[in-house]
Amino acid sequence: MIRAIIRPEMVEKVVDSLDEAGYVALTKMEVIGRGKQKGIQLENIYYDEIPKTMLMLVAEDDQTSQIIEIVSESSHTGNFGDGKIFVSSVDEAYTVRTRTSNL
Amino acid sequence: MKEIMAIIRPKMVSKTKEVLDSLGFPAMNAVRVMGRGKQKAILNEVSFEINEPDLLKVEGSMRYIPKRMISLVVPDEDASLVVEAIIKVNNTGQIGDGKVFVCPIDQALRIRTMEKGDKAIS
Repeated sequence: MIRAIIRPEMVEKVVDSLDEAGYVALTKMEVIGRGKQKGIQLENIYYDEIPKTMLMLVAEDDQTSQIIEIVSESSHTGNFGDGKIFVSSVDEAYTVRTRTSNL
Repeated sequence: MKEIMAIIRPKMVSKTKEVLDSLGFPAMNAVRVMGRGKQKAILNEVSFEINEPDLLKVEGSMRYIPKRMISLVVPDEDASLVVEAIIKVNNTGQIGDGKVFVCPIDQALRIRTMEKGDKAIS
């Protein structure tokens, strides 16, 4: 399972580039968070929590490195706040419609 | 311990909750998410009427479909029972029924009592 926390304005770009590479299925959710920089200070206003979008997709083990490459390339701007990508393990995946254990 | 994450139709959530409750798993989290599957978000998956017949046939004519993600943490031996129950309740045979993922959980802690491991989720 790959979870990527990225800038909300980059989501469509990331989704499109994943689509081109053949990774169509994904889930996205709105999240709020902050990173090492403890939010952001814009002149007098200090933003403690910054809205982000989390993309979640489950893929086979050998595809993860390609997905990480695609996501990190298309969501990269070089500034603080580009986001993070986390990879965790999934024991089993089931499709409800077919009642089978596959992706 | 296993975390069971199920992405299901929003209208099936209350039914799923009832069944899990009757099996003895009342605790869960639910999040509103948007997503799409292999079929690229086809239009006839949503519950409201769509007047354009041409649009219905186009694959990927909607970017995302609203879904609900429920997640619950259960002991190892109960994982297959919960998965089975979720699949049984949510199966309609149509595209968009959702996915169920089972992920390993290393540690759980109940903050109120500081209980750890299986005790924290029982």
